[in-house]
Amino acid sequence: MDKNMILFFGKKLVVFAVSMFVLSLTVFYVARFAPGDPLVSYYGDRVEKMSQEEREKAEERLGLREPVHIQYVKWLENAVHGDFGISYKYKRNVLEVIQGRLFNTLVLGGVGFILIFGLALLLGILCVWFEERLVDRIICQIGVVTSCIPEFWFSLVLILIFSVWLKVFPSSGAYSMGRSQDVGDRIFHLILPMTIVVTSHLWYYAYMIRNKLLEEVRADYVLLAKAKGLGKAEILLGHCLRGIMPSYLSLMAVSVSHILGGTYMVEMVFSYPGIGTLSYESARYKDYNLLMVLCIFSGAIVILCSIIAQAINERIDPGMGSREDGR
Amino acid sequence: MDGDLFVLADKKPRENPVPIKKEKWYQGKPVGSVIVLAVVVLGCMGCDWFALKDPAFMDLKNCSVMPGRLFWFGTDVMGRDIFSGIWYGGRISLFIGFASTVISTGMAVVIGSVSGMAPPWLDEWIMRFAEIFMSVPGLLLIILLQAVLGDANVVTLSLVIGITGWTAMAKVVRTEVRRLRGSEYVIASRCMGGGFFYILWKHLAPNFVSSIMFMVVMNIRSGIVTESTLSFMGIGLPLEILSWGSMLSLSERALLGGEWWMIVIPGAFLVTTLLCVTNIGNYLRREGNRRESCL
Repeated sequence: MDKNMILFFGKKLVVFAVSMFVLSLTVFYVARFAPGDPLVSYYGDRVEKMSQEEREKAEERLGLREPVHIQYVKWLENAVHGDFGISYKYKRNVLEVIQGRLFNTLVLGGVGFILIFGLALLLGILCVWFEERLVDRIICQIGVVTSCIPEFWFSLVLILIFSVWLKVFPSSGAYSMGRSQDVGDRIFHLILPMTIVVTSHLWYYAYMIRNKLLEEVRADYVLLAKAKGLGKAEILLGHCLRGIMPSYLSLMAVSVSHILGGTYMVEMVFSYPGIGTLSYESARYKDYNLLMVLCIFSGAIVILCSIIAQAINERIDPGMGSREDGR
Repeated sequence: MDGDLFVLADKKPRENPVPIKKEKWYQGKPVGSVIVLAVVVLGCMGCDWFALKDPAFMDLKNCSVMPGRLFWFGTDVMGRDIFSGIWYGGRISLFIGFASTVISTGMAVVIGSVSGMAPPWLDEWIMRFAEIFMSVPGLLLIILLQAVLGDANVVTLSLVIGITGWTAMAKVVRTEVRRLRGSEYVIASRCMGGGFFYILWKHLAPNFVSSIMFMVVMNIRSGIVTESTLSFMGIGLPLEILSWGSMLSLSERALLGGEWWMIVIPGAFLVTTLLCVTNIGNYLRREGNRRESCL
């Protein structure tokens, strides 16, 4: 048993390591071969006035003149030691740059995540309870409509209504000038972005939960439970809900990449100082070191979550592995 | 009665204890969505005939005009007519939606069935690769790919969106192929010397087409959404190439002046189209998928 566990986690660890390696390699190569001048993000407009010699010197200093594979090996060497280099734009250690922003994204994404899955479960249960009746239909209709609205457009409309016309909520940023410690102010700034993050993902997951639950309700044991005289609530909440828990959990794990991506998008529209705006900037302005770390960070979270999802499936439902293969 | 019992039993009309509700042919089908979508698609195709104003013409005297008699949907901050813009822009948006879906579907079918037919170790590797591909946030991947392909135009954008959109469908195809490949007819076909693409086309595709149909339709939708999102962010189509997304990319400036029509009107067209596509997709998924609840 113990040996099995070690083997199990060892295998996952190897998969994780290989995935991270491939991811970093790909991002590194793609970023280097992309057109664009990384010097611009370091020196700003001064680049245009540089002579050829100065340019070469500057590139030498940033280590950009060597062949790409040597650059990669060097980067990897430093990265293993925990040194990810400096950001060209901010001229500070990359990790420091990220540190300041990470919290904002975690708040937006994390609270959004909890809200999405809490509400999705609630909506799913409501829909199944009132299956094919008015409540279910209304929720489904509203859900389909909200799932069709692109995030950025919905953000624009909300900004238009609440910031431009009604002037209730601020349209950008994470806090007002000089009030970064004020929790109330931060919450105030979070309301609009959070609304977008939640509404744009909610229905997708609520619908999945609804379908899973609907399938579960049609299982034979429900008939048995009903015959024994259990109430509707007891069957649905006590038995069926437990039945869909494995898929609910793995859904949560898989969804992280979607929600993370959505958070990035929302951050950009609201110019919310988080990881998303940072990765967008770094990709556009060729801030290589920063881009690498951000990609690896997002990738690590997502790959980790998908491995967790797999582990959940395999652990809780041992039949899954063979059933999926269909052999 | 003399010995014709079987004939009689056969002829006797069967009585149904529960009268079946007669459904009209259109009930449960997304007729409204199909009609609206058809209007939008045809309108975009034939916009040369009725959207008479040049959508790219910048009427500098009439910048940011409210919707009115002269400009039905108003003009944007650069003085371009929004009514014409919507139809001409819709062409590009819809084209990118379709083109990217063709690309992603093609990739998904080929990769998924290769993975499904392959020996387990190769299968494992392909699926791992797909997972890594999936794990990079799509937006980042698109930005990277775009940087490689150079400045965006309609073709590269469809390509980029297509290349990033195949993974989920490939997984479904793979699972289906794994299920099908042990079937007698596939084995028989292999024994008779059928090649990979022959088997794929003749035996596998007809069987998994229904299970990916929904995803295909949804890919059209996500293609349109991605295009508009990218163009909105300024890394998709440039301002000169009209699409629903690039029309919205001026909205930052429109927000300052509270000029709602520049945001609401193109967006409303976008959302309506997406809604119709979704309804059709959902219908395809719902088909033949009903059982009674035990609850």
